[in-house]
Amino acid sequence: MSTKSVWLRAAVGLTVAGLALAGCAKKENTGTSGGNQGGNNAQPTAGWPETAEVKIQPGKPGGTFRQGLTEPTAIDPVNAQESEGINIAQYIFTGLIKVDPDGATKEGAATKWEPNNDCSEWTFTLKAGAKFTNGEEVTSQSFKFAWEREAAKASASEVAYHMEPIKGFKELQDGTATTFSGVDASDPGKLKVTLTDPDCEFYLRTYHTVFAPLPKVAGAGDNKAFNDMPLGNGPFKMAGPWQHDKGIKLVRNDDYAYGQKAYLDAVEFTIVPNGNNDEYDGFNNGTFDWARIPVPALTKARSDNEPKSQWIRKNTNGINYLLPMLHEKPLDNVKARQAISLALDRGAVAEGVFKGSQIPATSFVPGVFKKAYQAGVCGFCKFDLEQAKKLAQEAGLTPGTELNMQFNSGGGHEEYMAAYKQQLEKNLGLKVNLTAVQFKDLLNNEQAPHATGLYRAAWGADYATPGNFLAPLLSCKATGLDDPSDLSKPVVGDNRARYCNKQFDDLLNKAKASKSEDERTKLYQQAEKIAIGDDLALIPTFVRTQNRLCNTAKFINCRMDFNENADISVISIK
Amino acid sequence: MGKFIIRRMAQGVLVIIAAMAAIFLALFAIGDPFSSSGDKVVPPDTQALLRSKFGLDKPLPLQFVIYLKNMFTGDLGIDYDQRRQVSSMLGEALPHTVRLALVAIVLDILIGVIAGIIAAVFRYTFWDVLVTILTTLALGVPVFVLGLSLRANVTGHFFFPAVPRSAFGEEPFWLAEVILPALALAVTDAAFVARLMRGSMLEVMRADYIRTARAKGLSERTVIGRHALRNSVIPVVTYMGIGFGTLLGGAIITETIFLYPGVGLLLFKSIQNNNNPVIMAVAAFAVIVFVGLSLIVDILYAYLDPRIRLS
Repeated sequence: MSTKSVWLRAAVGLTVAGLALAGCAKKENTGTSGGNQGGNNAQPTAGWPETAEVKIQPGKPGGTFRQGLTEPTAIDPVNAQESEGINIAQYIFTGLIKVDPDGATKEGAATKWEPNNDCSEWTFTLKAGAKFTNGEEVTSQSFKFAWEREAAKASASEVAYHMEPIKGFKELQDGTATTFSGVDASDPGKLKVTLTDPDCEFYLRTYHTVFAPLPKVAGAGDNKAFNDMPLGNGPFKMAGPWQHDKGIKLVRNDDYAYGQKAYLDAVEFTIVPNGNNDEYDGFNNGTFDWARIPVPALTKARSDNEPKSQWIRKNTNGINYLLPMLHEKPLDNVKARQAISLALDRGAVAEGVFKGSQIPATSFVPGVFKKAYQAGVCGFCKFDLEQAKKLAQEAGLTPGTELNMQFNSGGGHEEYMAAYKQQLEKNLGLKVNLTAVQFKDLLNNEQAPHATGLYRAAWGADYATPGNFLAPLLSCKATGLDDPSDLSKPVVGDNRARYCNKQFDDLLNKAKASKSEDERTKLYQQAEKIAIGDDLALIPTFVRTQNRLCNTAKFINCRMDFNENADISVISIK
Repeated sequence: MGKFIIRRMAQGVLVIIAAMAAIFLALFAIGDPFSSSGDKVVPPDTQALLRSKFGLDKPLPLQFVIYLKNMFTGDLGIDYDQRRQVSSMLGEALPHTVRLALVAIVLDILIGVIAGIIAAVFRYTFWDVLVTILTTLALGVPVFVLGLSLRANVTGHFFFPAVPRSAFGEEPFWLAEVILPALALAVTDAAFVARLMRGSMLEVMRADYIRTARAKGLSERTVIGRHALRNSVIPVVTYMGIGFGTLLGGAIITETIFLYPGVGLLLFKSIQNNNNPVIMAVAAFAVIVFVGLSLIVDILYAYLDPRIRLS
C-alpha cells in the first residue's frame, strides 16, 4: 500500500515535475490546497504582511473581467465540488445564506432563519418575489425540489453528503424514497427542515452550493443540458453553455433580487490546463485580469506587482499541519509529540525554504475566525531545543528511534519536508524515514490499521465555523469506527489520528446544542485548548495564506471571496 | 497471402487485448478514484454509491469483459470527473492531434531530409560538419526545454497566438497555433531523420548503379534526385511511419506546454484526476494505432518480399 510507482503516473509525474507544472494544475478542493502558504496575525514581524482590506466603493456597470480557470468537475450544484466549480456555481446561484470574505454570515435567499429549542427543526423565511433568470419564482418548493434532485440515488452526487443531517437523506440515497421527508415546503414563503442530528449551526451548511435552489427546468441530476448551462437566481447567469476545455462566460443578472447587483457586464473564464502557471503567464501577457501565482514565482510576482497595488495577500480559512498517529509508537505519548513540535524550527523553514512567504502557526483554528482565534494556544508550537530534548528523553524518544514520515509528491512539499526531517534528525537524533507517495495513497496510508509516525496534512473548513476545524478531524465519531482504539480496522472518516477524548467531544456536543454564537465560540476555544494545547493531537505548522494578482489599472474592489476566488459580485471597472 | 494477412490480424487483436488488460490492471494499481476529494475522505456511503454508478462494484474480470464488449460497440463509457461520453471527448481531441502530427511530420521531412541530403552530398565539407553539430545539439535538447523557451519567448509575437489566450477572443488561424508545438516536436525527430538520411544516402552513393548513372553521363542533379534519393529514402519512410503513430498517441509534454487541446493534453488532465476511463481510452487508442500501423507495414513488406510471408 505504501510507495506505489505506477509506470504511467510515474513517467508523467517525473516529466511534469521537471516542467514545474505539476501540483499547481490540480484542482483545488474548496478551502483546502496543496497547502503550502501560511500566515499568522500574532507574529506580524515574521514573513510577508497581509495586504490591506479593500474598501468597497460604489462601482459602475460595464466591463469584462477575464480569468483563467482549471476545468471544473461540474458547475451544476448537483456535483459542483472543488474551488473552480464552486466559483461558477456560487455566482449563478444564491443560496439561503451568503458568507462575507471574512466568514460573516449574511442574508441570501432567506431573510431569517430560526431553529426550534433543541435545534432539530429549522425554519427559513424566504425573500418574496425573487425570481430565477427564466422568470420562475424562487419558493420553498424550489429548494425542496433541488435538494431531492441532488440527494437522489440516480444523481450519484459526490457532494450530497453535506445534507446527511437532514431527515430522509438516507432513504433518498439508497433509492427507497423520492421525496425528502425532512423538508417541508407547504408554505411557499417558508422552508422547514427537520434534522436527524440536531445542530445549532446547521444554517451555515446551506452556504454550500449543493443547497442552492433550482427552477423546474433543471430536471433530473443527469440532465446534460442543465449540467452545462445551469440557470439560477444569482448575480450572474450563463451567456451560453459551458464550452468544455475552452471557456465559460457569465453575464450580469439585471434582475438580481438579493442585494446589490453586480457591476461587471461579463466575466470570461478561459479554461487552462496548468493551473496557476497558466493564470500567472496569462496575467503577465495581458490575457487575464486576475491570477493565482506558482510558488517559485511568488517573490518576483510580489516585487513586480506590490508597487502597482496589484498584489493581494490574505490569511485564509485553512491550516497546514502534521498528523501524528496517536495509538502507535513512537508518538502515542503526548510528551513525544511535544518534543517533536518543539524540535521543529518553523521560523527557519519559513525563512529558509519559503523566503518569508510562509509564517508559522501557533493555533489550529486559523486567524480568519477572529472571535475564536487563540494565538499561541499551541504552547508547543515554538522552537525550544532544550525543552524538546528533555521531553524526548522522558517520552523514550531516544536518539536512533525510527520515525515514519510521509507526504504527497508533486505538491511542492519536498523541500520543507526534507527540512523537517533534517531538523528532527539533528535536534533529537531520530532516524526519520521520509517517503513521498501519491496523494490518494497518503490518505490510504493514514487510514490504514497500525499507521504510525507523521503525515503531512492540510485542512480547510467547508462551512464558516471554527467547529469545522475540530469536529471532522478530532471527534471520536469522525473516525467512523465503533471503537476508535481498535487498531485492526482502518479509519473511515477524517479523524485519521484516531483522537478520542470524551471531554473534548462533550464540549463540541454542547456547542452544537448552543444557540448563542458567543457561547459556541467559547466552547470551541476550550475544545481547541484540550486537543491542541494539551494533547497536541495534531501539530500545526503553517497557516494558509493566499496570494493573488488583480488588474487594478482597470478594476476596483479587487478582493477574494470566502472561497478564495475573485469576488465578481463587487469588482467593477474604474 | 490471404492466410498471412489473417494470421497477422489475429495476432494484432491478441496484442491489443493483452495490452489493454495490462493497462486495465495498471489503472487499478494507481488507486481508488473515489476514496478522497482533496484533503478530505469521501464518506463510505458516497463511495459505494459512486462505485456502483460506474460499475466498479463488479468483480475485476467482469469489469474488463464488459469494457471490451462496450468498446466493440463504440461505447467507451463515461468519465469519472464530468461524466461525459469518453468517445466524444476523444473525438474532440483527435482532430487537433492529427493536425499537429501532420504538420510535425511535414516539418520533419522538410528539415530532416534536406539537411541529410546536403550533409551526404557535401560530405566532409563545412555543411556536413554544420549539420552534424546541429543534429547533435538538437538530439541533446529535451523537448520540454525547447517547448518552454518557445512558449516564453515566441508565443504572442509575430502572428503566433499568446499562450494562454482568451477563449473568447478571435480564433487564430489554425496553422499559427499549430506551428510552434509542431516545431518543438519536429526538431529532435528531424535531427534523427537527417542522420538517417545522411547515412543511407552515403551508402547508396557508393552503389554500383550510381556509378553507372554517372558513367552514362547523367547530370549530378539527376543522379542524386532521381537515383540516389529514391533509394535512400526507404528507411526514413519506415521511421516516419512509426513516428507518426507515436505522435497520434498524443504528445503529452508538448501539448501541455502549448495548451494545445489534443489527445496528449486530454491524457495529462485525466492522469491528474484519476480519470481512469479516459486514460484507458487514450492508451487503448494509442495501442490500436500502433498495432494497426505495424500491421500495414508488415503486410506491405510481405507483399514486396515473398520470403517474409513464407517464413
